[in-house]
Amino acid sequence: MSTHLDTFSYDDAIVRKFLWATFIWGLVGMLVGLWIALELANPAFNLGLEWLSFGRLRPLHTNAVIFAFAGNAIFTGIYYSSQRLLKTRMFSDGLSRFHFWGWQAIIVAAALTLPLGFTQAKEYAELEWPIDIAIAVVWVAFAINFFGTLAKRRERHIYVAIWFYIASIVTVAVLHIFNNLSLPVGPLKSYSIYAGVQDAFMQWWYGHNAVAFFLTTPFLGLMYYFMPKAADKPVFSYKLSILHFWTIVFLYIWAGPHHLHYTALPDWASTLGMLFSVMLWMPSWGGMINGLLTLRGAWNKVAEEPVLKFFVVAVTAYGMSTFEGPMLSIKSVNSLAHYTDWIIAHVHTGALGWNGLLTFGMIYWLAPRLFQTPLYSKKLAEYHFWISTFGILLYVAAIYSAGITQGLMWRAFDETGRLAYPDFVETVMKLMPMNWVRVAGGTLYIVGMLMFGYNIFKTWAARPAKYDVPVISAPPLAKVYVDPHPVPAGTGVWARFTGVHWHRNWERMPLIFTVMIVLAVVVASLSEIIPTFLIRSNVPTIASVKPYTPLELAGRDLYIREGCFNCHSQMVRPLRHETERWGEYSKPGEFVYDHPFLWGSRRIGPDLARVGGKYPDLWHVRHFQDPRAVVQNSIMPTYAHLQKRALDFDGIQGRVDAMAMLGVPYGDAVNRAPAMAREQATALAAGIEATGGPAGLGDREVIALIAYLQRLGKDIRSAPVPAAGGTP
Amino acid sequence: MKLADVMSGAGLSIYAVVALLLFVIAFLAIVVRTYAPGSTARYDADARIPFSDDEPGPASRARE
Ligand code: HEC
Repeated sequence: MSTHLDTFSYDDAIVRKFLWATFIWGLVGMLVGLWIALELANPAFNLGLEWLSFGRLRPLHTNAVIFAFAGNAIFTGIYYSSQRLLKTRMFSDGLSRFHFWGWQAIIVAAALTLPLGFTQAKEYAELEWPIDIAIAVVWVAFAINFFGTLAKRRERHIYVAIWFYIASIVTVAVLHIFNNLSLPVGPLKSYSIYAGVQDAFMQWWYGHNAVAFFLTTPFLGLMYYFMPKAADKPVFSYKLSILHFWTIVFLYIWAGPHHLHYTALPDWASTLGMLFSVMLWMPSWGGMINGLLTLRGAWNKVAEEPVLKFFVVAVTAYGMSTFEGPMLSIKSVNSLAHYTDWIIAHVHTGALGWNGLLTFGMIYWLAPRLFQTPLYSKKLAEYHFWISTFGILLYVAAIYSAGITQGLMWRAFDETGRLAYPDFVETVMKLMPMNWVRVAGGTLYIVGMLMFGYNIFKTWAARPAKYDVPVISAPPLAKVYVDPHPVPAGTGVWARFTGVHWHRNWERMPLIFTVMIVLAVVVASLSEIIPTFLIRSNVPTIASVKPYTPLELAGRDLYIREGCFNCHSQMVRPLRHETERWGEYSKPGEFVYDHPFLWGSRRIGPDLARVGGKYPDLWHVRHFQDPRAVVQNSIMPTYAHLQKRALDFDGIQGRVDAMAMLGVPYGDAVNRAPAMAREQATALAAGIEATGGPAGLGDREVIALIAYLQRLGKDIRSAPVPAAGGTP
Repeated sequence: MKLADVMSGAGLSIYAVVALLLFVIAFLAIVVRTYAPGSTARYDADARIPFSDDEPGPASRARE
């Protein structure tokens, strides 16, 4: 072994950059969240501006909080801890900076395009294709930088936090690429290559694993580093952390279909999703216990150290949301909770509690180290802790009860066997007080965020004129590894299995590790994906289901642009109260031309799968113009601009052609889509005028959207017999 | 015969159970491996990696 020592220093400048980005975007994302909470409490907050309406802003809120706030927080922690755990500077300062600026540019692009209505309509994957490509490029740069750092490390053993980082980096790449495969039809418009059931499946394979590998595994890595550091004690059980890691990697990837229970997704897929979700409870709680017990014997420190307080509540919130998640994935519970605010309460326990508080704790711990001066005010941090914890409790309690209330009202029957609340708006009004409590809870959390920003800013302001850059020295890795803790070798198969030599070939470990993770993820994914795509009986064809007309297709794109799917589902579940309320339940075969699928995940407004023909065209015109003039107490935003804006007839041809390329049998329309759209629009507009509506709507956007809505559910009604199939 | 025919005829109803079993086996293998005797000292050493940086923390500087 050589006794030569390398000298080097850590790059903390990049960590400071990510830290500021975390705060700034966190504040922006939460303010947008507060704004849309106000819109639900009182639709006047939509201000009649299309780009401020709920459907446009909700994706901005979720994307900002997940990818900008949590994303930058992850990078802050990863760049700080990886360098120290691996005893080396990052592989390339240039790549670090590219990662930082690239990521911020992507966030800015998201903040501009989402309010303008450019969206793929898939939750947490709304960003359009050029931005998706940019994300892939920046992510690959990050991966190269990270794996390069691993390769030049001076610490042979790879600490468990790094395992979590590796799993996150590779899995996010796989998820992002496969869910976003789409056919561009313009600079900021594309159609998913998957349709209907398959698109839904891919989306929730992605969506659920975005929660797993963006909001869970990286944060677990951070927990396993920062919590022991802050408590000044090693993790309670390293062995448990290994189990935690592998079970999480094995199980999470299967769980996605629990987002689609009782939908047109095949039964076997959702059962599989349920089983694996329930199993997830075990490693999640193992991890929580491991985190909390790390503080054994240090509880007196928790009383005086806000950092540890944040960690304790964060890990407890992790435990609560990972108990609730498996519970929600059980079909019977899910049938009550799905489409309600219960899910929103669930994600906020996770996001505000687990991700938010862990981030705050981490940054309070980092700030004195990064700015090389004591934290400005420990007391203020203490207040921040209490106000945000209280804010979370208010938010979650209110929205829980809103969710359960909503779920129970939807399914309630009166003694004569009819729906107890046939008027949907009644169930919306019932939630108003809870909506306001949510606004209060969110406001408290944001006040805490401002205190946090002030504290960090004042700490920064007291920094030394020039940062001290400590020179670290460590020996490089020896060429030949001698295990300092050799395990006596046994003989026989059993001894060779339990003996630890075969998997302790540390030189190659990062590579083997990464390969094993990719294997676990890919095998699990393919085992669900391949059958979904290839089993015929999963999607029995229905002869009466035909492609949308060119005008309806244009209308569907407006539905996507306005983000109507953020409030409206298009999926009637085979439950009695649903078929009573909406009509015939949805069949997989109805969606074969739906690129992308628009089932939605929430019912702030009524389901629209069967809305076609329910109202006259003129009703829709008036409803878009001013929903409250038609339905008193509606909280739907006004869409008056649809009547002012001219429909882009000529652009329709490109869209029809793209759909035809994806296999939608468009026939004659590939030659004369605009003309066909004009004919249909003129006829529709004439009908509206004849029934006493405004004249001249024939070339307005609203006409396309009405054509689309009036089509919904029509095909299935004209079917002679419901198609047979193996699915519910 | 197309792939879709094969898949359709494969009778995947016990599929969930097979997957479950596979993963339970993998889980047990990891448990055995991790808790195999003789590895404790090594894992304790691994658990201390975060403390092996010899940076001057703020603890050695003045703190509030
Ligand atoms: C903030 C959530 C929200 C958004 C966004 C939203 N809606 Fe609504 N929508 C509602 C609510 C609540 C109702 C029930 C009250 C009413 O009829 O106005 C409703 C009702 C409807 C109805 C009547 C359904 C029925 O069966 O009575 C239609 C049609 C409709 N919306 C279409 C749309 C379209 C199209 C968009 C996008 C341009 C849209 N909505 C955007 C909340 C929303």
